[in-house]
Amino acid sequence: MKTPMITLAAALLAAGSFYLLAAEEHHEKRPYAAATPKTATPDSSPEAARYRNECGACHMAYQPALLPKRSWQKGMTGLETHFGTDATLEPTDHRTIAAYLEANAADVRPQGKHMAKIAASLASDAPMQMTRSSYFVRKHRKIPARAVAQPEVNSLANCNACHTKAEIGSYREREINIPNYGRWDD
Amino acid sequence: MKSLIVLALCSASLLAASPEVDAYLQQLQTDASMPFDAGRGETVFTSEQIGKQGKKIACTTCHSTDLSANGKNVNTGKVIAPLSPKTNPARLTSLKEVQKWLRRNFKDVYNREGTAQEKGDVLTYIMQH
Repeated sequence: MKTPMITLAAALLAAGSFYLLAAEEHHEKRPYAAATPKTATPDSSPEAARYRNECGACHMAYQPALLPKRSWQKGMTGLETHFGTDATLEPTDHRTIAAYLEANAADVRPQGKHMAKIAASLASDAPMQMTRSSYFVRKHRKIPARAVAQPEVNSLANCNACHTKAEIGSYREREINIPNYGRWDD
Repeated sequence: MKSLIVLALCSASLLAASPEVDAYLQQLQTDASMPFDAGRGETVFTSEQIGKQGKKIACTTCHSTDLSANGKNVNTGKVIAPLSPKTNPARLTSLKEVQKWLRRNFKDVYNREGTAQEKGDVLTYIMQH
């Protein structure tokens, strides 16, 4: 009697761990998606303000949670030629901003499910280009090219041209307003 | 007479730049061979170069030829506030910003740092427009 009970318990345990392992494996496909808040929390720290002032002068200040730490590290070490442009910073600003981006990167402090999915699906040869992440490509593939090419949008990297709350890290579908097209229903 | 000219020059520049930017301009002048000239600055600002990306570019590509109007970043499409301190009083107030943009933009347009002469000339041009 005792032996079958032990066998049953062992079998149950084994089945349980198998289930856990399987769940773990499934979970790994979307490493940041679970337990991630749906949208970003506004950051009013002086570091965030410095980032927005310095980097946001030329383009939208992309939320740090859009890219993993390694991407930000790569981006911040090549500012002499940043997407073809000199984007060098003063040493103090460089340190402040690099630390801010790394501390708030997608794999350190995830913020917002859409951002997490972008960060988790980057192209292996383009760690800094969120527009080439497979999630991003899939979500934007039906948008007519002329809607993107028009001067009001210019490029898919101009999140805030259509995502009306992109500046505060919110990328919900109902907030989309494509200039001269209107709302977008996927 | 000489002091009057100096006074006139000082007050004209004080109208357009903060004391720290003014001091920077004076420091640049000691490293330049000719007195700063807005006309030469305009040439620096408007002439087309082969830039960092190997393509034709001028300062006006992003800033437009009208310094009192908005410009547009040619790479990102982001609007750039007017350069003219008369239209945009925030311009030429922070030395840090002035030095940063001179450094970056000369690299992007001229593919090298600007000389003291060029920087002073172009700042003088901006201050007068």
